[in-house]
Amino acid sequence: MTHHEFTAVEMMTCTAARLFEDNKAYLIGFGMPQIAAVLAQQLYTPHIIWVYEYGTIAPQFPLPFEPLILGDSKSNYRAVSWKDMNHVFAQASQGFIDYGMLGALQIDPYGNINSSYVGGTYEQPDRRFAGAGGANGIASLCWRTIFVMMQEKRRFVPKLDFVTSPGYLDGSPEARETAGLPAQTGPYRVVTPLALFDFDAHTHRMRLIATTPTVKIEEVLAEMAFEPLLAATVEEMAPPTPDELTWLRERIDPDHIVIGKGKTIQI
Amino acid sequence: MPILQSGHGDFYVQDPDAVRTQRAGKERGLTNKLMTEQQAVSRFVADGDYLGCDLTYFIRGPNALIHEIIRQRRTNLWFCAKYCYAESILLLGGGCVSRIDAGFVAVGERVLTEAMRDGQVTLTEWTNDSLTLRLLGGAMGVPFLPTRTLLGTDTLEYSGAKVIEDPFTGKPICLVPALNPDVALIHAHQADIHGNARVLGASTAPLEQAMASKKVIVQTEEIIEIEEIRRHPSKTTIPYYFVDAVVHVPFGAYPGTCPGVYVADTPCITEAIRALDSREDMQCYLETYVYGAESFADMLEQRVGVKRLLQLKARERYREGYYDTP
Repeated sequence: MTHHEFTAVEMMTCTAARLFEDNKAYLIGFGMPQIAAVLAQQLYTPHIIWVYEYGTIAPQFPLPFEPLILGDSKSNYRAVSWKDMNHVFAQASQGFIDYGMLGALQIDPYGNINSSYVGGTYEQPDRRFAGAGGANGIASLCWRTIFVMMQEKRRFVPKLDFVTSPGYLDGSPEARETAGLPAQTGPYRVVTPLALFDFDAHTHRMRLIATTPTVKIEEVLAEMAFEPLLAATVEEMAPPTPDELTWLRERIDPDHIVIGKGKTIQI
Repeated sequence: MPILQSGHGDFYVQDPDAVRTQRAGKERGLTNKLMTEQQAVSRFVADGDYLGCDLTYFIRGPNALIHEIIRQRRTNLWFCAKYCYAESILLLGGGCVSRIDAGFVAVGERVLTEAMRDGQVTLTEWTNDSLTLRLLGGAMGVPFLPTRTLLGTDTLEYSGAKVIEDPFTGKPICLVPALNPDVALIHAHQADIHGNARVLGASTAPLEQAMASKKVIVQTEEIIEIEEIRRHPSKTTIPYYFVDAVVHVPFGAYPGTCPGVYVADTPCITEAIRALDSREDMQCYLETYVYGAESFADMLEQRVGVKRLLQLKARERYREGYYDTP
């Protein structure tokens, strides 16, 4: 195993980890965002304030990380406070939470998220999913929302069957404020195994800004059912560093429950 | 005040004066409320009730009480699925539930889809935080609370929320109706026989859930004396007179974890997640862990065993913060 070989999900995790800012407060969703946050905390931004929706404030948990259970004693360990859900969402509503980081099943060009159902009708769905959970509140109230998600054509769609959690809504200027959402909030980045996107400041449309090493722009576009905007220069992301891979593989996710997914990339 | 938008989902609503009247009749005395889970469910959970839990099947869920409701074959319940991993689907599999307020129904999505398509269950769309806020409204005795969430989404359209113009700022604001469940099920670490309960660690909303609900059943790992409660009043999560029944069930959150006491039985949780993916497998799971035993303790003895339970307890290495460490 050399640092020249890595999985697409390892790349995604590193990309997400590199987006963290130190001494900022984060509401972090289940799964991939958690792994990225642990990596960031260990390597780059040791002072991020990590808040869980069920009330844990700034824990310092031991490794390895166990992604299956959210809310056990290990993931709550050495927090500065144990509160509850109304408290955490009050913090977000007050403007204390800088970033939300969420996984997502399906996204549209304006960063709206569907996690309720696909196909059929609300009452008679082809496939029902879990529903919003905490994602609607997180995407509504945090200053910036980052999505970490797998990229497939059926996940990046021009129109969602159901808008579970708000992005820039119809993309029009002030759409969020007009709806009553807190001002100057909204989606910030979308991280996938193939690429990194931001949102155009004026049109609020998703924009491709970087690709995973060896992945061509056409390959990114082939896994989207809509055309994103393209940055003037689409950068190639720096591959995972040996340090990042060692931490991920040996200490954070030694059973490769999360990071083992996605195609293997050699450079 | 003009209503700018109305969700058209059905929602459970109680007149705040009816809630007050019910509260006026509630026992204030320090009575002994200790009873078995069979007694608690048969006395306090009726067909058609609106039912809520604090936390969930995998983390400090009131699993002994959930199992007992399934065992007693309650029907037509309306379930509050906030932060919910498996119990709504287990109750569905047991034929107990006909309506779900969907904040988060994370396991058994195929079974849920089939049940919706068959008309066995109908959903109203909510979120973890809006359901928890509704409980706070119910706990405060007010008819609704405002939130800056749900706005702009289909979630709002399929919920019972409304949007009005805030009379103070003129901005659109979302209102969610207060929620006063008929029954709350709460797993506590410690409780006395009167209902004073300690829920240790981070949580969703045990106090709001207890205060908002008409009938409250607490299941507890441990019974402690009221003198111990009075020595450390800041540790009391729920004062006793909100509580109707106290059920002593050590390992009552099995197969989930009770943080600070025992870890989750991961193989059993994996088995549950797999079983909840199909109606047939779920019936086997219910047969093994619910119908095939007379009580939760009976199930633990027959299906899990002392050795395994002691292992789960020994593996809980992070007691710091929950219990005073020497």
